[in-house]
Amino acid sequence: MPSPPKTLTSRRNAQRSTGPTSTEGKLASSRNSRKHGLTVQVDFESSDVYASLKSLLSEEGFSSFMAADIATSLLHYRRVMDAYYDTYTSPEPVNELMRDMSVTDSMPIFREMLSEPDDVRDMAAFFANMQRKEQRKGGPVSRRTVDCHKLIRYQRHAISRLPKAIRPA
Amino acid sequence: MFILKDSVKSIATLLPSPRLLPDESEAEFQSSVQGLLSELDKPSPLNVALVTQLNECLWWIKRHTVDKELLLHESMAKILCRADTYRDVYDNHLVSAALEGFFAGNASKKDEQWVNDLLKEAKLTVSDLRARGFKDAAKHIKMADELIHRQYQTMRHLQKSIDAVDFKSRLIKRMDLELTTFENNALAIDAKSS
Repeated sequence: MPSPPKTLTSRRNAQRSTGPTSTEGKLASSRNSRKHGLTVQVDFESSDVYASLKSLLSEEGFSSFMAADIATSLLHYRRVMDAYYDTYTSPEPVNELMRDMSVTDSMPIFREMLSEPDDVRDMAAFFANMQRKEQRKGGPVSRRTVDCHKLIRYQRHAISRLPKAIRPA
Repeated sequence: MFILKDSVKSIATLLPSPRLLPDESEAEFQSSVQGLLSELDKPSPLNVALVTQLNECLWWIKRHTVDKELLLHESMAKILCRADTYRDVYDNHLVSAALEGFFAGNASKKDEQWVNDLLKEAKLTVSDLRARGFKDAAKHIKMADELIHRQYQTMRHLQKSIDAVDFKSRLIKRMDLELTTFENNALAIDAKSS
């Protein structure tokens, strides 16, 4: 069991590690590990495109409320489809070195780098595991298919709003 | 060809337009949009925007359909590479590209010979390879099928939206006509009474 002074020090240190406190810091850390950015809330209503779309839809005979709803739905759908395109066109690159390396052939290099036989074995096991993971992901087409598949739910959510917004009462 | 008025184009130009892959033609995409629009009677700006999105779905279906075949090639290339003992051919991209040409019937003689050698090395026939490749790629092909299915669902939603816009404009037109009829009737009554 830790001593009381150690516990106090741990508590004090933990209070220092509570993440960013400023608005800018929080905004920056919210983009950590960003993949497609679709979970980030976007304020369409302050954009110029939204205002122009809304006024055009109002001219078409939609009420102000409906025009706002349709404009938001359209912009939301476009955002999802743009993220879909980005995901499709830039899949995670294939690590060819890792995929093609021969772990058996690399053993002499590991032995040169490490003196302990256990360490060499661990290193070989680590690389073999990495290689298996890399090979399981497949080629570029498999990768982009898997990545796009993750966006299905966003697409479903975005498009389901549109007919509801347009449907006449 | 169906030509759009500038006012009708407006929403479509305001929305970020669907992006195409580097090897795809913008003109072909636009002509496909025009083809769909020609089936609508006096499309409104919102209709144009919706039809553009619908056309994008059609293009995604095409892309994912091509991907299904490419997934199969990737998987077959992996099987051939696994069976091959030469280090210099241990590259799925090259084998995949060679297989693509081989199955399309436009492979170079060198590629054809190479694929035949690899098949011999792996002790497989083309149909065996295809069957095994399909088995290995089944998970990814299923995913591609689900992506295609999603596009069909999206198209259904867009179609519903287009119908709703169309219905709304027809409703307004009908109300206008009814209003004109009432006005004419009222004028007729006024004229009779005077």
